[in-house]
Amino acid sequence: MLISRNIRATTGDKVVSWVFLLPVIIILAVTAFIPLGYGVFLSFHKFQLNIPNSKPVFIGFSNYIEFMKDKLFIKSLTNNIIFATISVSMELIVGLVVAMILSEDNKMSRVMITIILIPMIIAPVVAGTLWRMMLDSTYGVVDYFLELIHIPGVRWLSDPKIALYSVILVDFWKFTPYVAILLISSVKTIPRSFMDSARVDGASPWKLFYRIVLPIISPVIIIVAMIRFIDAFKVFDLVFVMTGGGPGNATEVLPTYIYREGIKYFRIGFASSVAVVFITVMFLVSGIFIRLRTIQLNRVE
Amino acid sequence: MNIRIHKKSYLSNFLGWPAKVLIIAVILVVILFPFYWLISNSLKVEQEYFAKPPVIVPSQVTIKNYVDIFTKYQVGRGLLNSILIATFTMVLSLVTGSLASYALINGILPKKIKAVLALWFLIQKMYPAVVIAVPIFFVINKLGLMDTRLSLIMMNTSFNLPLVILLLIGFYAEAPFEIEEQAMLDGCSLFQRFLFVTTPMIKAGLVAVSILVFLSSWNEFLFAAILTIVRAKPLTVIIAGFITDKGLIWGPMSAMGVVVVFPVLIMMWAMQKNFIGGVSAGALKG
Repeated sequence: MLISRNIRATTGDKVVSWVFLLPVIIILAVTAFIPLGYGVFLSFHKFQLNIPNSKPVFIGFSNYIEFMKDKLFIKSLTNNIIFATISVSMELIVGLVVAMILSEDNKMSRVMITIILIPMIIAPVVAGTLWRMMLDSTYGVVDYFLELIHIPGVRWLSDPKIALYSVILVDFWKFTPYVAILLISSVKTIPRSFMDSARVDGASPWKLFYRIVLPIISPVIIIVAMIRFIDAFKVFDLVFVMTGGGPGNATEVLPTYIYREGIKYFRIGFASSVAVVFITVMFLVSGIFIRLRTIQLNRVE
Repeated sequence: MNIRIHKKSYLSNFLGWPAKVLIIAVILVVILFPFYWLISNSLKVEQEYFAKPPVIVPSQVTIKNYVDIFTKYQVGRGLLNSILIATFTMVLSLVTGSLASYALINGILPKKIKAVLALWFLIQKMYPAVVIAVPIFFVINKLGLMDTRLSLIMMNTSFNLPLVILLLIGFYAEAPFEIEEQAMLDGCSLFQRFLFVTTPMIKAGLVAVSILVFLSSWNEFLFAAILTIVRAKPLTVIIAGFITDKGLIWGPMSAMGVVVVFPVLIMMWAMQKNFIGGVSAGALKG
């Protein structure tokens, strides 16, 4: 009796399990699998949406060859690498310092953590507009403060040599708190007894940090670095609202490049080919990262 | 004596206490001043937000900018759109995500499906939304869903599902299996166990996940910019619309910024523990 009920239950459960999974699979099919497949299809076609009645025409790898030769593609890729490298290293170093300062459970830390949540929660679009306002070269308040201490005003967003670094600075402002919050949580998992016995042995605060805390949280630092690096490669909103890729093409990154070609110039096939390569490269990079991440996670445990 | 040592801060002095004080002061200025600037500009009259040198403390305060954005720029509708899109994204990703996560942990499915889905979610977390912007535009157009909230709810759900399922799988796996087993012996079906037994046990986790989803969909910009024309525009698209116009109108733009930021800021502050817990789990688990 019991056995037969169990068997009935299992065959029923099998069906129900699939039913449970179904909504997610449907959503992903419509919003991810089909669009991605279509994107790959388009990448081998010439498809100019701003020409009436145009249909995709198969052109093989031409799109791929074309963008590889495009100077703007190379420029965007370079900018992306500069952006990710500089912003992530600054965020990690400063985030680590902030995390150490706020890692003890006292009133000051609690108040400060509440405050550093502000940049984290602000929408990237709003952070971009706000800083665009503050960095304005005519009415901007940042240049005004600089002039007060006799530093000549900087054309933050209109000087092609500086604009990219200004956007990096805002990314740094927005994401350092995220890094700090993650590192604070990992410092808090260190058993008190570790820290206490080091202090009883007379370790200075610096030694406590360097010899005990840093080695314990270093796997977490590496994981956070990977997450931030991948996210920094995906940067779009900030660049879009702060500079729109300009002045000229000074701040163009791959996501805004794809947006410009596909959505603005309607070069559907061309934009798709860049997107396909972008996904492939991110997939390979993340494959390496996942390996490293598993190793680091095992070290955490 | 010992107790006093414990209470005194120690690790935070790792660069020496003068450095600590200096760093805290810098953080306060760098974060609070822009925040103050946003709010104060939203309350300034036009001569003062366009003043040279800038007016640090407004000499008169006005709510004209707020009145303007709600009357001239349809921010009321944008606010409603943002609220509905974020809420329904939260509900849809939680319902579908928890069903799927539960099935993956406690259901009877081939092992392969789990590996395939896990791999897929890792891929999906790696690519930026913009790479499927073009094909999505066609798909949504074909479905006749242009300029609808539904299309944004679907897209936001899709992009939140990897995080939701990753976290919920963790929570379901940690829920005690004995209770599940007992319910099974008592004759509860899989659905009953899901709804009445196991899911109520992971309530705290569900709260953390929901606020993360709400925040990310509230702040979402790219799909909203591509897939809306007029009716379904959320706040983020409206505020970005101020920029592409030739002259930036700072007063209304700042008021918009306040309207975008404040609801979620208050929400996240109120649920700070859940929020930080969710953020850390999302980054470091799985």
